[in-house]
Amino acid sequence: MKNRLRVLRAERGWSQAELAGRLGVSRQTVNAIETERYDPSLPLAFKIARLFGKLIEDVFEPEGDGAAGL
Amino acid sequence: MQTRASQRDRTLCVITAALFAASYVGAAAALKSLEMSSGARIALALSPFPFFVAFLVAEIRVLRQVDELERRIQLEALAIAFPAAVLLLMALALLERAVPLSPQDWSYRHVWAFLPLLYFAGLGVARRRYR
Repeated sequence: MKNRLRVLRAERGWSQAELAGRLGVSRQTVNAIETERYDPSLPLAFKIARLFGKLIEDVFEPEGDGAAGL
Repeated sequence: MQTRASQRDRTLCVITAALFAASYVGAAAALKSLEMSSGARIALALSPFPFFVAFLVAEIRVLRQVDELERRIQLEALAIAFPAAVLLLMALALLERAVPLSPQDWSYRHVWAFLPLLYFAGLGVARRRYR
């Protein structure tokens, strides 16, 4: 799943550690999400979206068209 | 959701693991070298159990505090280690039937020590994936 987490974080000038602290996860988790090695759970994805004042689909985008027809 | 397990719980985990290892080594050495009644030998053989249970409790406490990625990593480590352990034990069982293996060299006494190693190998693979 693609995401805009790195861009959103950079816009606010937060470090990965700072964002991790705000989300209540480890810095490794933030890094893994940003590098798209790990897709967060739905509750964490909502938490991320809310933290940035966005809708979840503004932050995360499914790869390919797999979810488009659902 | 907590970011990390508390330092106290992690320290407790390490201490109980060290106590278990020490009690196992001590019990194994004593069983090998000391003359005792069979009741005393059984009690000594079971003496590491409380330390392991304490370690297990501490480990579960830590696991419940880690975040979702760390839980995923732990799950993947076990998903690698468990089949590998089954394979190892199966190979040993078949080899025992195929050729005479000396219990001094190959037995469950020797093989169990590989199981934590397999877990740590699985942990390394899983951590590398999400690095």
